[in-house]
Order: sequence, then structure tokens, then C-alpha cells
Amino acid sequence: MRLTVNGEQHELEAPFGRSLAEALRDDLGLTGTKVSCGEGHCGACTVLVDGAPHLSCITLVHTVDDRAVTTIEGLRDHPLVDAFVRCDALQCGFCTPGQIVSASALVEANPSPSSDEIRHAMAGNLCRCGTYPRIEEAIRTWRD
Amino acid sequence: MGALGNGTRGLAGGTDLVPLLRDGLVAADRLVDLRRVIPSGIDGTAIGAGTTLAELEADPQIPDALREACRLAASPQLRNMGTIGGNLLQATRCWYWRLNYPCRLHGGDVCHAREGQHREHAIFANDYCASAHPSDVAAALLALDATVETTRAAGPLAGLYRLPDDHDRNLVDLGADELITRIHYERPEQSVYLKAMDRKRWAFALVGVAAARYDDGVRLGLAGVAPIPWRLASLDDLEQATPLPGTAYKLELARALGRRAIAAVGG
Repeated sequence: MRLTVNGEQHELEAPFGRSLAEALRDDLGLTGTKVSCGEGHCGACTVLVDGAPHLSCITLVHTVDDRAVTTIEGLRDHPLVDAFVRCDALQCGFCTPGQIVSASALVEANPSPSSDEIRHAMAGNLCRCGTYPRIEEAIRTWRD
Repeated sequence: MGALGNGTRGLAGGTDLVPLLRDGLVAADRLVDLRRVIPSGIDGTAIGAGTTLAELEADPQIPDALREACRLAASPQLRNMGTIGGNLLQATRCWYWRLNYPCRLHGGDVCHAREGQHREHAIFANDYCASAHPSDVAAALLALDATVETTRAAGPLAGLYRLPDDHDRNLVDLGADELITRIHYERPEQSVYLKAMDRKRWAFALVGVAAARYDDGVRLGLAGVAPIPWRLASLDDLEQATPLPGTAYKLELARALGRRAIAAVGG
């Protein structure tokens, strides 16, 4: 099958039932995408599919062969990465790739989101270190 | 999104089906990607079954009850993935069922929740199986007097669901090769969906109440109170509830949300 990730086309052999997260990490070596709960609850594995945040751990890779996938590796130069560092918006950092991917879709659609809009759009990304206030600050000030 | 028979299953958003396949609660040796087959998008009061919850919540034509039900149904990622047809067919969150206890829905002869942990379970029609139906969208669509069009027939949404019995443990009345294609709703004068959750953002409904006002009165649909989405003719019908010791609080929630919802639509 063909998989388009961060603008690059890849050919891969994926068995029935393989998740997008597994294909990204194990077949393509794009380990920036993290798998935490593995069942669609926590948001750590969030990637963009045609620009919208999706959970790669419960997305079967065969269902996205005609769509554009963006991972954290594709957002390396996004100002949100610096904003997260500047605001110290992480502790262990495991959820951070998913946080930044979700936030990138939010600021793309709404460059100046309010606190409420940030909370609504980021509700699907859990941070067990509890850095939510700083994540919110990073998104609010992403262009500073 | 509906079984196609012969070990083949239809897959739309996959947000419920993929975890169920992984946990061995659903078996399939072949999956068919339905998104290329079933209609999606909104055309007046007709909604393609493949329309995502995210698309519905963003469309100002859609009545408030359904938009709010979609908005509160799940996380942003799940709403981007999940379709309205799949949402109507989602499986119960009963932890005994999800942990594969040999309960009645799994073909056994006992409802473990009735004697065990049932804080999130049903207060209506809970004698045989006390699971609670989690669909916020179905509650809203019941209030909006929706009909469901499938590859075989069209009928009221309420007819899509059935209570389980010894002969048939299914909660959905859909043929093995039958797919939901479209949902039609009646445009109300005003509508609302209110949802009580354990936390403020995206949790399954403890109780969800949808109210829609029409010329002839207010229609109510409830989530989280029965094994299937539940329609109430009026709040007086709450007196017929049969709560378990751990779910008595749900009756209070349903009364309070019901009163608030009816007031909100000017009923």
C-alpha cells in the first residue's frame, strides 16, 4: 500500500489490522508519534489526516492510503514547538507530540483562540503531569 | 458500522469497532471501508450516515440538540473520525460486557451489573440487562423525531433498537448485510441537549437529555438510562423508572436535566 506522510510517499506492506501508529513507528521509523493508552482515549498518538487531528492508534493504516498524514516530524519548524519550550509546557514530554499536533490544527483554523476554544480543541489530549495551564499559555502565545 | 455477514464487517470511523476487534469482542476476517460507499454530508434535513460528528457540530443548519450532542459526544479527534451512523450503532460501555463477562448480552444467563457495580447503568428496562446506551446523538435524534434509512428500509429511529431477550441478545434490529445510509430529522422550533458527565470534558453520559419543541409539544430523548436510547412522552414517565441501588441518583439527574431542557426550549 501507499502512505503519504509529511508530504513524502512511502510504499509498505502492512498486514490486515495494522494501525497507523504502528506503521509510522515500526515501518517508517517515525517514532515521534507516541502510543500511550492504545485505545483512543488519551490523544498521545494524535496525527493529522487531511489536516484534522485523528488518533493513529485506532486508525487502521489501510484506511488512509489516499489521504495526507502529518506527524510531529512534519511540524519540526512549527512555531508551536518553540512556544512549548518557552512556556515550559511539558514535564515528562510523552504527550507533547500529540499536544502540538492537535494545537497545530487549532491555530491553523483559528490563529487567536480564546482560553475556552483552546480547552475545547485540546480536550482530547491528556497530560498526566498536569501541565495544562502551560500548554494553554503556549497555544495562546504561539506567535510571540 | 453494521455487519455484512460471512465474517465481513463494515468499517466507517472505526473509533468503536477497532478497539472491539482488538479486544476480541467482535470478530471479523475482512473489513470493508464504508466511507467510499455510504453517503456523507448534509442536505437539508437529510444527513448521510458517513457524516462525521465534527461536520455536524460545525453546521449552523443542524438543530442545536444534535450539534450539542455531537460536540459533547467525544474528544475532538474522535469527533473528526466518528460518523453519525457508527455512533448510533456503538456498543455499550458496560464494563462487564467490555471485559467479556459471560453476561446476557454475551449469551450468558446473568446480568453481572445488577448484582455488582452498576453506578453507570440503566434505570429503565434494566431487568434483563442493565447496560446503558451511550449515544448522545441517538438521544438528540429521538427528540428530533428522526427516521433512519437503510439499504433495505426506512423507519423511525426508535425501531432501529430492541431490548434483548432469551431469543435474541442484539440491541439493534439490523440485518447482517444491512447498512444505515441516511438519517432524516424533523426541524424543530427549538431544541437542546444537556448532558451530565463525571468530568467536564468528553466522558460518556451518566444521563443525557434532549428536548425539541414542535407545534404539538416537546419531544424528549434520553441517553445513559436504558439498554437502548430512550424516549419519554413527558417527565411524568420518569416515575416508571426502576433504578438499581447504585443508579437512584440518575433519576434525580434525569428530572433536573429534563426540567432544565424543557425550560430551555420554551416548552
